[in-house]
Amino acid sequence: MTVQEDHHGAEVAVRTEKRWAIISVLIIILLAVLAAFAGIHRATMPQARVETIDPTRLHVSGEFVESNLGSMLESNGTVTVRAIGQQYSFTPACLLVPAQTPITLRATSADVVHGILIQATNVNAMLVPGYVSEQFMRFEKTGDYLMPCQEFCSFGHEGMWGKVKVIDKAAFAERAKNGGRLSCVGE
Amino acid sequence: MLENRKLILAHFWLAFAAFGLALLMGAWQMFVRSPLYTWISNPEWYYRSLTAHGTVMGYVFPTLVAMGFGYAITESALKQRLVGVRWAWVGFWLIVTGSIMAMVPVALGRASVLYTFYPPLIGNAFYYIGVVLVVVGSWIWVALMSINLRVWRRTHPGEPVPLAMFANVAGSYLWAWTAVGAALELLLQIIPVALGWRTTIDAGLARVFFSWTLHAIVYFWLMPTYIAYYTIVPRAIGGRLYSDTMGRIAFILFLVVAMPIGIHHTFADPQVGAGFKFIHSAFTALVALPTLLTVFTICASVEIAARLRGGRGPFGWIPALPWRNPIMLAVAFSFVLLGFGGAGGLINMSYQLDSAVHNTQWITGHFHLIFGGAIVIMYFAIAYDLWPHLTGRALPSLKLVRTQLWLWFVGMIVTTFPWHWVGILGMPRRMAYYDYADPAIAPQAFSVTLSAIGAFILLISGLLFLFILATAHRQPASEASEYRFSLPIHPVRSVPLALNTFAIWVALMIGLTITNYGYPILTLAARSDTSVPAVYVGAQ
Amino acid sequence: MSTRELFTFKNAYFSASVGITAGLFVLTALGGFILLPYLQKEVRFASLWDAICSAAGLPQRAAAVATGKVGPRLTEAVLTPTMLARPSQESIGRGATLAHRCAICHGPTGLSRADSPNLAGQYASVIYKQMLDFRSGARTSAIMSPFAADLTDQEIADVAAYYAYLPRLPAYHPERKAPKPRIVIYGAPLRGIAPCGSCHGSLDNKVGSPWLEGQSEVYMREQLLAFASGQRRNDISQQMRNIARAMTQQEIDEAAAYYASQPPDVVKAVD
Repeated sequence: MTVQEDHHGAEVAVRTEKRWAIISVLIIILLAVLAAFAGIHRATMPQARVETIDPTRLHVSGEFVESNLGSMLESNGTVTVRAIGQQYSFTPACLLVPAQTPITLRATSADVVHGILIQATNVNAMLVPGYVSEQFMRFEKTGDYLMPCQEFCSFGHEGMWGKVKVIDKAAFAERAKNGGRLSCVGE
Repeated sequence: MLENRKLILAHFWLAFAAFGLALLMGAWQMFVRSPLYTWISNPEWYYRSLTAHGTVMGYVFPTLVAMGFGYAITESALKQRLVGVRWAWVGFWLIVTGSIMAMVPVALGRASVLYTFYPPLIGNAFYYIGVVLVVVGSWIWVALMSINLRVWRRTHPGEPVPLAMFANVAGSYLWAWTAVGAALELLLQIIPVALGWRTTIDAGLARVFFSWTLHAIVYFWLMPTYIAYYTIVPRAIGGRLYSDTMGRIAFILFLVVAMPIGIHHTFADPQVGAGFKFIHSAFTALVALPTLLTVFTICASVEIAARLRGGRGPFGWIPALPWRNPIMLAVAFSFVLLGFGGAGGLINMSYQLDSAVHNTQWITGHFHLIFGGAIVIMYFAIAYDLWPHLTGRALPSLKLVRTQLWLWFVGMIVTTFPWHWVGILGMPRRMAYYDYADPAIAPQAFSVTLSAIGAFILLISGLLFLFILATAHRQPASEASEYRFSLPIHPVRSVPLALNTFAIWVALMIGLTITNYGYPILTLAARSDTSVPAVYVGAQ
Repeated sequence: MSTRELFTFKNAYFSASVGITAGLFVLTALGGFILLPYLQKEVRFASLWDAICSAAGLPQRAAAVATGKVGPRLTEAVLTPTMLARPSQESIGRGATLAHRCAICHGPTGLSRADSPNLAGQYASVIYKQMLDFRSGARTSAIMSPFAADLTDQEIADVAAYYAYLPRLPAYHPERKAPKPRIVIYGAPLRGIAPCGSCHGSLDNKVGSPWLEGQSEVYMREQLLAFASGQRRNDISQQMRNIARAMTQQEIDEAAAYYASQPPDVVKAVD
């Protein structure tokens, strides 16, 4: 192999390499565009605001007092669900929501870090004490879902499972017409 | 030229002994939470084991491998005696002390907080102090890597730094910076509370600090593996490295973008703004670039080896590869696992897809596939490759080595594939038991059982690995040739200054940390109303 | 090798890497701070500045929302894990004096013979919280409510400190050799029941949860039933009602019987 041939080989190698580098960059741009597209069109986005709250006083005053927990039909037809996570249960332990309705879930933790995960959906939020988590969700079909705590919250973590019950929109409206907060606890 | 063999062997043996113990715990955990076992009567034991497994596998084992390998690279790539051997031993003993200090409270059940800490849960202070000592020990190694390179540069002005050493130093700088996040969390937040000086802690800020470390630590684990891809594999299979420059660029990219992307671990958290989540998500995409470049360069290098051995045709060269060579086998397995793991990683990087799998068993499956699979299998390869040079004795049986690698590969697939699947079904992480009798989660039972079986295959493979290394010490002495790294196909005569030094890249890494992490950290750190009461775990 | 040579825009590597990085940051920042906030249909921002601050994560206090009234019978006690830790000797002394009037039911050594709770060595925060609730009416009892009515916060803390200071003694309840019931060791995960010990002291202690070993079987059964029916609801945010409601009658009986038969030596300390 002469010096010249070697030099030529090196040039070929660099060219191939550059081509591959360009392909790699294109792959990454494609992925980023796909991710951005999904973000815009499927509208599942991280919560818009960071809100703080005192976890030790949730039950005393503010929006997470016991009588305000559960699902509430808003005047514009949407539903707001408020819940807290604590060692080792969610309150309400069973969330009752209507199908085919935009729902805002507002939740926080009363003690340590918990997570709220509704199985078979993409509803998935961390509950960090001191902060309020907010997530938008919508269920198309009625049915029952499991809602385990997805973050280690000390030695009873394995027993922290809640439930979600999605009922017909009309049935929900019927139960909500007297105001108040709904849940499926004890059903 | 490996002068300080005892030092290197000490690091490797401590790493692999710790790995063996943690592997045993991992297999036990997989077993007790599977349908094969009745529920564990004290869930705390499970979380205790999980804390130990994570701490050893995440902090102790890979750090020691990187350190031992780093010392070996320094001596063999730079062809100079390691400067600061005494300090190296100080670092080693700090890690030993730190590991013991951390593991005693864990073993006593006083620090079952998992390796991710998760304040406001607070365990015994010695656990956290032990972890800090391990990190401090590794920082001595970082300093030594930098000093040794400087010493070499003085005698070799303007010469290209050998790729192995360049990558090694890049890895050490990455680690030095990425460990700062967890160190800040421990020193400023957790340890004062664990010692009782303070009783409140900002759990949200702690999670942001931890994300600083949590993602890039994976790239620190990955460094020895990538160094092996570039500098061991082509030589070991009788080929040449396709491109030295691409290697440098890949390691520089890791150094710059591996760290300021960690907020994608807090996508579902309430304490980080959506804008920063988006920025980190976009930068996370970048970190796929060095891997794509590496895949190309290594495949091309492997092809060169095959063609030198007479391989022909667009795909015909593949059978011509030296498949009986353990390093060839390891790199092939590693690439397959990296491919699947990387695909999973692309899913996690997107906020929208991640929300379907966040904190499910998918995530555990994912990082076991990447770390336990793609990365650790190359740690095995590194050990097998170095061992004859460290012990002055040949490995007892290549057949046994191949069996071990096959078992690990198969075991990793059997363990992690069903693991991903139950994650998609929504199975949450880190629970001591699950009620598989309930019809709602009964469909997960079969997959979890498969995973547990996979864990035992991995355990057998891990024990076999330790057995091979141990028996190698008793083989008849044989003179090993000088330890060397692969040569590029086109010799490197000169390298641009930017690709031979780190100043720009370290500056860029720190600059990106400030832009990507500065505001999220400062805005929370400046407030006092986000601190919440600490919860001391285990009612201490 | 000099820094000046590297850090100059004449160096192609420097200008390219800084340019690409800065460009990417600006681009993603525009997307993340301005474009994406406005794409979220559910959220309305007051101004562009509000959108940027929100996307950056500037913490805001949760907006005041119309809330249902707090019922008169819910607890207003605020507990933190380290409250009442390390009480002074004087506090314990004052508590001892106050405790004379408790001895009729709760026993002179804090061990009851009358199916009232044993208080010797009980966690201070537990006694403190229940007394606050008796005083406020969040928990009612014909006997306890009058006792609590005229106590100050400090007196309640003193009594709690005194009883927490007393040594834990084995109770008079007969020891049974029954196996540990499933509900106690494992709970019932999918019904949302964690092992009892993960709050009640044998594994971990959740602040405000008593340890139960050697307590009266009758008392514990009654309380579980009261929680389950909602008759008693002074537990913060339903933490015990959530559990009791999900338990079967048989599980309630088993758990009460089991805890009544246990000596208090497995209970973890808490300070």
